[in-house]
Amino acid sequence: MKHILKMENIVKEYEGNRVLDGVDFSIEKGETVSVIGPSGSGKSTLLKCINGLVKITSGDMILNGSTGMVFQHFNLFPHMTCIENIMYAPMKVKKISKSDAEAKAVSLLEMVGLSDKRDEYPNHLSGGQQQRVAIARALAMEPDLMLFDEATSALDPEITGEVLEVMKKMAKDHVTMIVVTHEMGFAREVSDRVIFMDKGKIVEEGKPQEIFQNTKSERLKNFLGVVLNDYVPQDTK
Amino acid sequence: MEQIFSYLPLMFEGLEKTIILFFITLALSLPLALPIALGEESKNKVVSFIFKTYVFIFRGTPLMLQLFFFYFFFPIVLNIRIFDDFQTACLTFVLNYAAYFAEIYRGGMNSIDKGQYDAAFALGLSKRQTLFGIVIPQTMKVILPPISNETITLVKDTALIMVIGAADLMKMTSSIVNRTNDITPLFVAAVIYLIMTFILTIISGRLEKYFSRYDERGE
Ligand SMILES: Nc1ncnc2c1ncn2[C@@H]1O[C@H](COP(=O)(O)OP(=O)(O)OP(=O)(O)O)[C@@H](O)[C@H]1O
Ligand SMILES: [Mg+2]
Repeated sequence: MKHILKMENIVKEYEGNRVLDGVDFSIEKGETVSVIGPSGSGKSTLLKCINGLVKITSGDMILNGSTGMVFQHFNLFPHMTCIENIMYAPMKVKKISKSDAEAKAVSLLEMVGLSDKRDEYPNHLSGGQQQRVAIARALAMEPDLMLFDEATSALDPEITGEVLEVMKKMAKDHVTMIVVTHEMGFAREVSDRVIFMDKGKIVEEGKPQEIFQNTKSERLKNFLGVVLNDYVPQDTK
Repeated sequence: MEQIFSYLPLMFEGLEKTIILFFITLALSLPLALPIALGEESKNKVVSFIFKTYVFIFRGTPLMLQLFFFYFFFPIVLNIRIFDDFQTACLTFVLNYAAYFAEIYRGGMNSIDKGQYDAAFALGLSKRQTLFGIVIPQTMKVILPPISNETITLVKDTALIMVIGAADLMKMTSSIVNRTNDITPLFVAAVIYLIMTFILTIISGRLEKYFSRYDERGE
């Protein structure tokens, strides 16, 4: 199997404060991996190390391909319309023609269900719509690996669904993605593998079923007990 | 009173100098302020110290003092006469206004959300593309109002150059008043300055509207 990303013994320190403490992680082409864990456990930092937004302090990382990222607060460019947001990087970075970029953007807008918003400015859109445009913008660069950092955390509960639907569709289409999320439903139903991080370490990792039904570590049990109100740990005999 | 018509050509001659100084100052100091602002923000401590000192000096001393300084600096200290009065005035104004505009740019750039830089980086945009395609266009909305203010101040500041003998509108006007004991030219000059600031107010209003077109409220 082809690894898109392989990280070994990754350490990230901020002024002596160890935020990632020896993380081993890899992902194969077409895989959807969810990353869960309490606040401050280093989930965002892990994603930022992968796409180079922060420099790792030590460790080995091999990345075969390009990354795209979707942020909690969308970070759309407010001075550009939706379609301009999507077309900008392909035209500037990949130097593709305006008409090609536009054709691509039109089909991406259709994919996220926002064809009618193409000439709107982001500030005129709802949060869920903005996030879907942000997904389209990242996809326009045809990344080999998509990174989602709590893409639905800033949204009202009733509109997280429209964004999760798009992400589900991507997972089904075998887009390789790492999804940092508080949506346990998504982690359980959509991902091929779930990673639980705490205090800068990967504490537990496995298929959703192993993580949610046959939880091993106490820390994960505690975490799930807090975030899932219907969570009943199945004690190992 | 009717004599004013005979003085008008002289005043317009001065006005021409005033307008040239105004445009030269804007045309050179607005772009010059960008590297100064970036220099101030530089991670290199020496570089940022140098640019911050520059801005501190030019904003912290009277423009009139700076005019005198450059007026005497070249002939007396360097013993060269390369600039005439008017060119000295232009040089001083450009250096002075660049310092003010740099501070405005800096404020504007710092008002941009860090997430914009992250998004640009994640999309693979270069630093240059991020600066010119993402940061500066968004900064426009923030920096235009203070730039308009400075521009209006500049119109009035141009009158200062008479102190080093440059023959601008103010200088022409005051010498006419001196010669004729008629203060009408002062009113005429006032009206001319008002017309200039009025035009600027209209232009800046238009520009502000244009660069705010993506606001939540605006449409
Ligand atoms: N730029 C930075 N400088 C210093 N410390 C930082 C920086 N960024 C993150 N940290 C610290 O690193 C730790 C991990 O942060 P990170 O954002 O990766 O956590 P997270 O798991 O994404 O949390 P959350 O669920 O709240 O988003 C935190 O203690 C945070 O304070
Ligand atoms: Mg985070």
